Amino acid sequence: MEVHHYVNIFETKGVEYILVILFLLTFVIFMRHLKRHAPVRRQGPPPPPRLEETIVAPPKDSSGGR
Amino acid sequence: MSTAVTTETMPRRSWKEFILDQLRPRGPIFTPFNVISAPVILAGMVLVVIRFWKGIGAVTNLNQSYPWGLWIGFDVMTGVAFAGGAYVLTAAVYVLHAEKYHPIIRATVLNGLLSYMFYAGALMLDLGRPWHIVNPIIGNRFGYNSILFLVAWHFLLYMTSEFLEFSPAIAEWLWLPKLRRFLGMLTLPTVIFGVTLSCLHQSGLGALFLFNRNKLHPLWYTEFLPVLFLVSSVFAGLSMVIFEGSITHRVFRAQLDPKKHHDFDDIILGLARGAAATMYVYLFFKLLVFVHGKHWHYLGTKWGWWWLVEIVGFVAVPLAIYTHGYQARRIGAIRLAAALTLVGIILNRMNVCFIAFNWKSPVTYVPAVAEVVITLMVVFLEIWAFRWIVHRLPVLREPPAWAREG
Repeated sequence: MEVHHYVNIFETKGVEYILVILFLLTFVIFMRHLKRHAPVRRQGPPPPPRLEETIVAPPKDSSGGR
Repeated sequence: MSTAVTTETMPRRSWKEFILDQLRPRGPIFTPFNVISAPVILAGMVLVVIRFWKGIGAVTNLNQSYPWGLWIGFDVMTGVAFAGGAYVLTAAVYVLHAEKYHPIIRATVLNGLLSYMFYAGALMLDLGRPWHIVNPIIGNRFGYNSILFLVAWHFLLYMTSEFLEFSPAIAEWLWLPKLRRFLGMLTLPTVIFGVTLSCLHQSGLGALFLFNRNKLHPLWYTEFLPVLFLVSSVFAGLSMVIFEGSITHRVFRAQLDPKKHHDFDDIILGLARGAAATMYVYLFFKLLVFVHGKHWHYLGTKWGWWWLVEIVGFVAVPLAIYTHGYQARRIGAIRLAAALTLVGIILNRMNVCFIAFNWKSPVTYVPAVAEVVITLMVVFLEIWAFRWIVHRLPVLREPPAWAREG
């Protein structure tokens, strides 16, 4: 008579169920991990300085130094 | 005169002038690519004549043990997987409204259409009696239950679908506004029909091997082959879009709107993310099938090592590079991952088709030089056709103003 071991995860295909559950969990983790990325680098000239920094605001040493 | 201007001014000229203008070569003739590809195409054409003159045995090493060789393994199995980008992207753009990918949709559909036309067309070379190819269509002695019957009909219908999806560009090229409007209305239903067909025949190609349980090595044979073929066609197609798109973006740079050059990097990143996610699923499926089949004892053999080369070297490693490339925003790494993935797909399809096929048999199969030359001829012809069309039709450049307004 063939003996069937219910505690053997290979015979009961338990290992496959574990793999599927692990996959579902790790897939979510993987996608969240994939979402984390470096900031987008744009090639090209640097942006021009803001207007108030160049015209409106006085130079630092014009009045503060006295 | 630029090609864009040619399209805009077309109605003012006669059809004869238009045709003569379109036949005029664009760009230099003696480029390195042309110098390499032209002799290969000529040699391939001579070999094709010999194949039809003297029979398939005159140019191939195929035998009774290996009826399917390089032409089926590469041209049909791999070519169709590489064309998978068309159904994935059309579904994303037209059904899911992922408009980000719209700038590359025409080039992708054109690449898919040409892949089917040339690679599946190369099937004619492999058939012992090529004139029998019409049998599934005209109902002459075919089996309704045959997977080849399904694949034959699907190839025909899908090629028609892809032609319809691409046809608005042809209508714009020929300056036919009414036809363009009508074809535009057909796009969405055609895309839905095409995606359905693709899912079925991509998996159908895997199903062709289901009755080879005793011939295909257990590490590759599984009853889930159709699922594996379908899932792998998704990332194979996306990788092909990245690879082909990177080349066309460089070669046809003048046709693209300079303001949209940065958008292309964003598109590549999005495609890389999709490819990485699908490869993760594929890797899990392979692991599950491996555990399900209890194939541990094969790992120590030379076949086990070869299987590991395919799975680790050309699935796990590209997956890691895709992930790193996406996270670090490194387009170069993503291109490398795409190239490795494409090699992996070629390897997988060839393993299933003839390398791991008849693995116990003392008879072996190594493709003949003529088979390789004819395969290269098919690839080069497809690239020539793609280039000819992109130079003339609004594939990468903006459509004419009347089409955009309509």
